[in-house]
Amino acid sequence: MTTPGVAPPAGRQGPGPLPRALLQALDLRLARRSASPLPGEHHSPGVGQGTELTQLRPYEVGDDVRQLDAAATARTGEPHVRLHVPERALTTWVVIDVSPSMAFGTVDRLKADVAHGVGLAVAQLAVRRGGRLAMLSFGAENPRLLPPSGGRGAVARVRRALEEGVAVDADEPRAPDRGALGKALSRVGKMAKASGLVVLISDFRDEDEWQRPLRRLSLLHSVVTVEISDPRERELPAVGRLAVVDPETGRVVEVDTNRPKLRWKFAAAEADRRAQLAEDLRRAGVQHIELSTEGEWLRDLGRGLR
Amino acid sequence: MTFTSPVALLGLLLIPLLVAALWWREKRPRRDVVRFPAASTLQALVASEPRWPRYVPPALLALALLALTLSFAKPERTVTVADRQASVMLVTDASGSMAATDVEPSRLEAVRAAAKDFLDKVPGDLRVGAMSFAQEPLATTRPTTDRDTVRELIDDTIANGGTGTGDALDVAIKAVRPKGEKDKDKPAAIVLLSDGRTTSGRNPAIVAQRAKELRVPVYTVSLGTPEGTVPGNGAPFPVPPDPETMKRVAQVSGGKFYNVTDSSRLSDIYTRLGRQIGSHEEQRDMSVVFAAAGLLALLAALALSSRRAPALP
Repeated sequence: MTTPGVAPPAGRQGPGPLPRALLQALDLRLARRSASPLPGEHHSPGVGQGTELTQLRPYEVGDDVRQLDAAATARTGEPHVRLHVPERALTTWVVIDVSPSMAFGTVDRLKADVAHGVGLAVAQLAVRRGGRLAMLSFGAENPRLLPPSGGRGAVARVRRALEEGVAVDADEPRAPDRGALGKALSRVGKMAKASGLVVLISDFRDEDEWQRPLRRLSLLHSVVTVEISDPRERELPAVGRLAVVDPETGRVVEVDTNRPKLRWKFAAAEADRRAQLAEDLRRAGVQHIELSTEGEWLRDLGRGLR
Repeated sequence: MTFTSPVALLGLLLIPLLVAALWWREKRPRRDVVRFPAASTLQALVASEPRWPRYVPPALLALALLALTLSFAKPERTVTVADRQASVMLVTDASGSMAATDVEPSRLEAVRAAAKDFLDKVPGDLRVGAMSFAQEPLATTRPTTDRDTVRELIDDTIANGGTGTGDALDVAIKAVRPKGEKDKDKPAAIVLLSDGRTTSGRNPAIVAQRAKELRVPVYTVSLGTPEGTVPGNGAPFPVPPDPETMKRVAQVSGGKFYNVTDSSRLSDIYTRLGRQIGSHEEQRDMSVVFAAAGLLALLAALALSSRRAPALP
C-alpha cells in the first residue's frame, strides 16, 4: 500500500542500527515520562473497565447492573457495585513530518532518516506492556493516519508507513502549504481522548500557527517534540553564487555566499528562528529534543529524554 | 550623424532577440539549483536587497551589441574644420554717411560692434585683416592672427568723406592675394560693408570680376535704411544705401549679399560669417569610437557576469 505524492527520498541512508541495549534504556526513560509510577502525577483516566478493584459502593439508579457485586451485596444486605481501575494501556501517537524539507541532509544522513529512526524507536517502545500505537504523518498532500492498535502488527504497519518516504518536491513554484503541523496536532487532539504520549517529530519549518494546538494537546497528553536540523541549515558555506530552491514551495533564490555579511545575517536569522522555536515549545510546556543529522541521533534522543 | 552603410542597422534587430533569449533563459526551469529547506530564510534576507544589479550585465551586453552594430553601419559626424592659411579682409565703409543714426546707435557704431563679434567667432588661426575707406582706401591692416591690431583699426575708424568702394575692394583683394595668385590651398574672402552709392573711383562690379578670377568671394553687406540722413548744410542730407551694386558684387565674386537695416541683424550676420568663413565641414568616420565603446561594454559585461556566475555549472 503506497500513498500518492510520497516517495523514498534520494540519498536515503536509513535510520541506522537500533541497538537493543540503547532501546532498553530509552524504554525506561520514555515510560517514566509518560506514565509516572507515582499516582497524581498524571491525569486520571477515571474509572471504567478493568481488572483491578478500585471501590465498592452502594448501587445507585443508573449504574450498570452487570457491575453488581454479589458478595458485597450479600454481606451488607444492600446492592453494591464494584468499580475497577480502567486498563492503563498507554496510547502513543507518533506525529511525523514528511514534508519535502525533511529530505535534506549533508552529514551522516537525511533529516527524514533521523525522523524515521525516532519514529521506529518510539513505535517499538510503545507496544511494550500492552501499549497501543498510532501514527499520523503530515506535510504531504495526503496525511497518513494509522489508528491506535497494539502488538507487533502495529509496529509493522508503522514501519511500513515510515518506509514510504517523504513528500516529493514541488515541480513548479507554488504557494506554500502552511498549517499542516497545526492541523495534524488538532486532529490528534480530537482523536486521542484518553491521556497518552504524543511524540512530535518535525523540522518545524512551518511558519503557520501551530503553537495553540500544541498547547491544547499538552494539557491532556504528555508531549515530546523532536526537532531535527542539519548543520548546513544553521550556517552557509562560502561557495560562491548559489541558486537554492525551497523544496516545499519550489521558489528559487539566488545568493552570493561569498559575502560574509550575507552568511552572517543568515546564521543570525536561523539562530533567531531556533531560539523562538525553543521559546514557543517551552511555553507550550512540552519537552524539546534537538537532533542533528550529524552523529548518533539515538544517543542524543536518550540524552534529551533524561 | 549619418551612416555610410545603413543596411548594417538591421543588426539592431538582434537586440530584441537577445532580450528575448535572456528572458527565456530566466524563465526556464534551472538545473543548477540546490535544494535547501532554509531557502525561505534566505528569501527574506535577499528580498530586502535591490534587484537591479542582476540586470547590469545583460544591459551592458545589449549596449555592446548596439554600439558594435552602429559601428558596422559606419557612422559619420560632420565637423567644422578650420582652414589653415585662410585669410579674410573686413572692408568697412567710413564715409560721412556712416554717421547716420537710422541704425541704432549709429551705422558706424553698429559695424564696430558687429566686427568685434566677428573677430570673436572666427577660428583662432584664421588670419583677419581690416581696412576702412572713404573716397580712397584709408587705414589697412594686412591679414594677421593678431586680433588686437584689427580691433584697434576698427576702433579708430571715423566717418568722413565720400565712398570709393571699387578702389577699396581692389586694395583688399591685393591684401589677401599679394602675389595675384589663385591659390586653392589658401582660401581668402572679403567682407565688404558699405552704406551708399559709390561716389568716386572704379566701379565695384568690375573689381568684383577680378575677385572672382582670384577666387576671393566677397560677402557684401548693405547697411542702412532708405530714410537715413546725415546733418547737411541747413537741411538733413539723405544717404540711402545702394543694395543693387552690393548684390552685383556678391553675385559676380561668388559671395553672398545681405541687406541690413538694424544693428542686431548686422551682429547676427557678422557672427554667422565668422563661423562660415575660414572653415569648412568635413565628414569624420566615427566607427572606431563606437567599436571601442562596444568592446568596453562587452568586457565590462564579461567581467561582471563572470563575477556573478553561479558556483555550480
